[in-house]
Amino acid sequence: MIKTVLVILAFTTTGVVGAATPPELLKTYEAQSGKASSVRGEQFFNSKHGKEWSCASCHENPPNHDTKHIVTGKVIKPLAPVANPTRFTDDAKVEKWFKRNCNDVLGRECTAQEKADVLSWLMTVK
Amino acid sequence: MYCPRKSRCAILAHDGEIDPMKLNQLIVLVLSLLSAGQSFGAKMAIPADAPASYDAECASCHMAYPPGLLSAKSWENLMGNLGKHFGTDASVDPKMQTEITQWLIKNAATRQKYAEVAPENRITKTSWFIRKHDEVRAEVWKRASVKSPANCGACHTDAAKGSFSESNIKIPAK
Repeated sequence: MIKTVLVILAFTTTGVVGAATPPELLKTYEAQSGKASSVRGEQFFNSKHGKEWSCASCHENPPNHDTKHIVTGKVIKPLAPVANPTRFTDDAKVEKWFKRNCNDVLGRECTAQEKADVLSWLMTVK
Repeated sequence: MYCPRKSRCAILAHDGEIDPMKLNQLIVLVLSLLSAGQSFGAKMAIPADAPASYDAECASCHMAYPPGLLSAKSWENLMGNLGKHFGTDASVDPKMQTEITQWLIKNAATRQKYAEVAPENRITKTSWFIRKHDEVRAEVWKRASVKSPANCGACHTDAAKGSFSESNIKIPAK
């Protein structure tokens, strides 16, 4: 119950629907799970999870520069907020890409804990 | 000039000489056919009324393909299965899916040459695509800067502007 309230609060305090900041989104995911670990987040980002790709296959590590999609070669803008301030500022967009890319890399959706971990690590990337 | 069948020799005047008026008409006709062929084959700009969602939802992972490169049926099939989109999850919300699908279908290929139902819904598996690229060696497709036949811009330098003209091709060495 408390978690639900926190989640609702986290989304409503962002003001405009959809608009957010990386720390706000991180709080939301932590509220749905537990405290984030950036160490775990980086490991998760680099891991292939028993399948073909990792997050780093397309975003590279550190993801602070333009990279290329592993299949199509299309340029992908940096994922780390430090290099691309528009990242993690729209909760609907963030959720859409977590859904798509977690299905691509893990073959399932990511948990709130995994999202929190990865985001907390991305926020530390210089 | 020898002319076995009169119907095939409309350009000739009755005395067998070339009629300058008819020759002019023929030249105009041939030139207009040539330029029309070029504009169809080489110029495939994205229609100006593309919804913003096409760029945001589709062109984040690959080039924004001109809708005229696939038939309406192929677009419909492809857009109905975005959860499994050539090995990736490209799902979009239902509202945008409808918006993009309708726009793609409205602007889909109509000329017979491009209007076949594409195998696997892939532009690169259509017979016209294969025929147009039959001189490209297998090794070229695998070069690091090419990666895939879906990466038009690797060789067609103006692909993003919808131009696939033969004069704008530069095949990368690596």
